[in-house]
Amino acid sequence: MKKRQVISMIACAVCTLAVGTAAFAEDTIKIGFFAPVSAPSAAADGQSSLQSAKLAVDLINEAGGIDGKQVELVDYDDGLDTTEAANIAEKLTTDDSIAAIVSGSYSGPTKVAAPIAQEAGKLLVSAYAVHPDVVNAGDLVFSQSFPGSVQGTAAAVFAGEVLQAKRVAIVAVDLDFGTEQATYFKQKAAEYGIEIVSEDYIAISDNDMTSVITKIAGEDVDLIYSVNYYEQASEVCRQVALQGLECAILGTEGADSWQLLETAGEFANGLYITTNMNRDDENEKTQEYIDKYIETYNMQPDMVGASVYDAFQVLFDAMANVGTDTQAMKEYIAGMKDFDTVTGTLLYYNEAGSAVKPVQVQQVTDGEYHFAATIDDAAIIDPANY
Amino acid sequence: MFLQQLINALTIGSLYALTAMGATLIYGILGILDIANAGAYLVGAYVGWYIFHATGSIVLAFIGSMALVGLGGVVLQRTVYSPILAKPRTLSIIPLVAAVGLFTMSSDAVRLICGAGTKAYNLKFPVMVYKFTVFGKKLTIQPAWIMIFVLTAVLLFILWFILNRTKLGLAWRATAEDAEIAGVCGVNTSYAMALSYILGYGFAAAAGIMTGILYNSITPALGEVPSYKMLAIIVLGGLGNPLGTVIAGLLIGIAEVFLSVYFNLPIPKDAIAFVVLIIMLLIKPSGLLGRKNKV
Repeated sequence: MKKRQVISMIACAVCTLAVGTAAFAEDTIKIGFFAPVSAPSAAADGQSSLQSAKLAVDLINEAGGIDGKQVELVDYDDGLDTTEAANIAEKLTTDDSIAAIVSGSYSGPTKVAAPIAQEAGKLLVSAYAVHPDVVNAGDLVFSQSFPGSVQGTAAAVFAGEVLQAKRVAIVAVDLDFGTEQATYFKQKAAEYGIEIVSEDYIAISDNDMTSVITKIAGEDVDLIYSVNYYEQASEVCRQVALQGLECAILGTEGADSWQLLETAGEFANGLYITTNMNRDDENEKTQEYIDKYIETYNMQPDMVGASVYDAFQVLFDAMANVGTDTQAMKEYIAGMKDFDTVTGTLLYYNEAGSAVKPVQVQQVTDGEYHFAATIDDAAIIDPANY
Repeated sequence: MFLQQLINALTIGSLYALTAMGATLIYGILGILDIANAGAYLVGAYVGWYIFHATGSIVLAFIGSMALVGLGGVVLQRTVYSPILAKPRTLSIIPLVAAVGLFTMSSDAVRLICGAGTKAYNLKFPVMVYKFTVFGKKLTIQPAWIMIFVLTAVLLFILWFILNRTKLGLAWRATAEDAEIAGVCGVNTSYAMALSYILGYGFAAAAGIMTGILYNSITPALGEVPSYKMLAIIVLGGLGNPLGTVIAGLLIGIAEVFLSVYFNLPIPKDAIAFVVLIIMLLIKPSGLLGRKNKV
């Protein structure tokens, strides 16, 4: 009996040692990630987000990883639920093997996860959440996207200077995303003497734009500023065309999706959007991302996916240069200048941690997004100026 | 503009009436709030989409989807609802919880099987829009609206005919009145229940397809709004009353369009249905056409 016990103890010890050595010798860099994959209302963005995260990791691993180490994606589904986002953030921040976190989710879950990451001393890069509270969580949180202030102001500049709009109707989703951009649009539009003829804030669950566009039809406007996500923006395009309004439509990054092109079809032609990805950019990185994404997933990439991909590029660059120490990465990222990304040149991160980069204006022609303008005035694109 | 908005409102209202009809028929017979009707609406829109894109026929899409989803409803009734209700002392919350579970499952199943992205019906009408001038005002009618009016009217007529002019309808009405006594009198209550599900889920499927055509878009989230708004409509109509549901659907459509367009309400449009419901319940607690003893 004693002999047996000794043998089992030795066996246990050998096993423990083997497992321990394996863990110790683990030559991977783990990056935590979450996206709203299973929430029906956000699943398309969740999918785009997760696919781009996987693509970023696959491509860096194919290229030999970072300093010879392979990158491992530890991904979670937040279901667009803030409680779940908090649980995920706890899991990722209490796991010492996680080097940094990328949020591929909306403002709601990201706003909850950011302070948890900050408190635990983990770096978090948010890909496309627009709420200012995300970066306000602390110095370990960075954001790749424009806040509403930048995008709304840039839209007004385009409306005033390029489209020469005089009478504008605003149709916006009744969320921070819509109200914030509309507020800054109105402020800047006043400088161009633009009259805001009507403002309608539509619940995100409501896809019916018929009655709103009927009302606007009687107002003789020359531009509709549509601060909506793709489903509602598609319906704005369709109803404007079907009801015979002769006005331009200016959308936002919320309408930057292949899904809008699919549902609005020919009615999307002429639509302008402010966004961060210029599909016609000759930059090798942009074209490589677009080609690889289509090749891998057989669908067009969008702003959400491109922003997630960029968040990973920023982390990879930091890790390749200074390793995975959080403070070193933080200082490196905070000091980044003119970094080439899929969504154009990232000029720098401002003090709050928001990326400062030019706003792209794209126009739908022949069912595809194409370059229309770039707004790169430093006074407009740095969120610190608002 | 008033006439144009009225047409807009009646289009939306017709869809609401058809969407909520399934829940009304099922409440009328089983006395349960079947939220899973919103799942039938969602699944119906997707089944219709696949049939339409496989055959190119929207008629086949409607017939096929209504039949398949209607039969699916009977399967659910036989395997889920009836066994639950057959148990002695079943709390009324239990079938409701089962329905919520079925609805959630249907949304997730659609997302996993059909993908998270949007699908477009892309149904081409010969004319994109009809334009008229009435009293000097421009009026537009979109062919999708005509389809919704006509199809809703036809389906509701079929429902009226079945319920009022056939033996099966008589069985349904008898079962709705008192299932136990109807059973004792020789009425096959099981057929009446199956009828509720075939028609109810079938109508929800048709409403799902029509919504998909109207907005040219279907997503796995399609059933979310109907899942709660249909409750407001069926309660407003007087629980279990088909005619009340039609009136309530149209009323909610009109209230939503006019209140949201002419008054900048601080509440979301989707909440209007519930505000109307609360006002109605304060005035007439049994709903528009409900009988007092039903509440």
